[in-house]
Amino acid sequence: MPQIRALIVDDSSVMRKIVERCLRQAGLDLSDVQQASNGVEALAILNQSDFDLILSDINMPLMDGLEFVKTIRTLEKAKDIPVVMITTEGGEQHVLEALSLGAKGYIRKPFTPEQVKEHVIPVLRS
Amino acid sequence: MSAPKQMPSAEDATESWRLLLHQAAVEVMTTMVGVAPTVPEQIESEPSEQVTGMVGLAGALCGLLSIHCSPKVATEIASRMLGLGEEEAAQHWVDAVGEICNMVAGAFKAKIPGLDDQCMLSVPTVITGDSYATQSLIVGNRTAVHLLFQGEPFVVILETNG
Repeated sequence: MPQIRALIVDDSSVMRKIVERCLRQAGLDLSDVQQASNGVEALAILNQSDFDLILSDINMPLMDGLEFVKTIRTLEKAKDIPVVMITTEGGEQHVLEALSLGAKGYIRKPFTPEQVKEHVIPVLRS
Repeated sequence: MSAPKQMPSAEDATESWRLLLHQAAVEVMTTMVGVAPTVPEQIESEPSEQVTGMVGLAGALCGLLSIHCSPKVATEIASRMLGLGEEEAAQHWVDAVGEICNMVAGAFKAKIPGLDDQCMLSVPTVITGDSYATQSLIVGNRTAVHLLFQGEPFVVILETNG
């Protein structure tokens, strides 16, 4: 698998670090990992850098993960970047809403490194 | 969106919710921290108010889920979650407790059929200090799960309206 540039969006810095560690444990060769604590920050980072993968929480201040996914699908530069949601909100309606907005995967917290790998690798291969 | 399912009465809910709350806490701590909390032989007192993580619930179930522990436990949780030494982990324990609280609330509501989509969680809040007491204005049911994390108190409390 080629080198991956990843953007991790979560209002918890602890979770951002754990997600990054899980991506590395999944065997991804991460050439660039950037972090944002909400959708607004993430959009600003997306304006400056290119990414191959975005992992985003849903419940965040300023702009939540669903609004963030909806917004980036309207941006020419970012609309094709696969997004995997990582969230405590795992209800069927939340999952369907995220997928309908363009998310490619959905991981429920708490999660294991194996679950991150199971969900992220197919998204990157597709 | 389907209609919210009928929530059980407070009395009916107490024992079953205590079990589900216990399961949720053990699941989250085991998966994210790598240590399963244990059940104390004796509950000596209510938790000391040094670190309190809180997440609000709104929708079909309204209330507050809180986690109470000492700074020592909070630091150990952050240390294990991040694989860091105690000194470095001390910078992250507020965030770690907030996120554990968030995940316990999420895992709890996922265990009640029909509730997952009908109940939203707030962004977590964490209070720390040497001398404070939290007083909830929620009038209703209170379910407390007293656990031990490496021999130290780790308490999860769910307060719900109605």
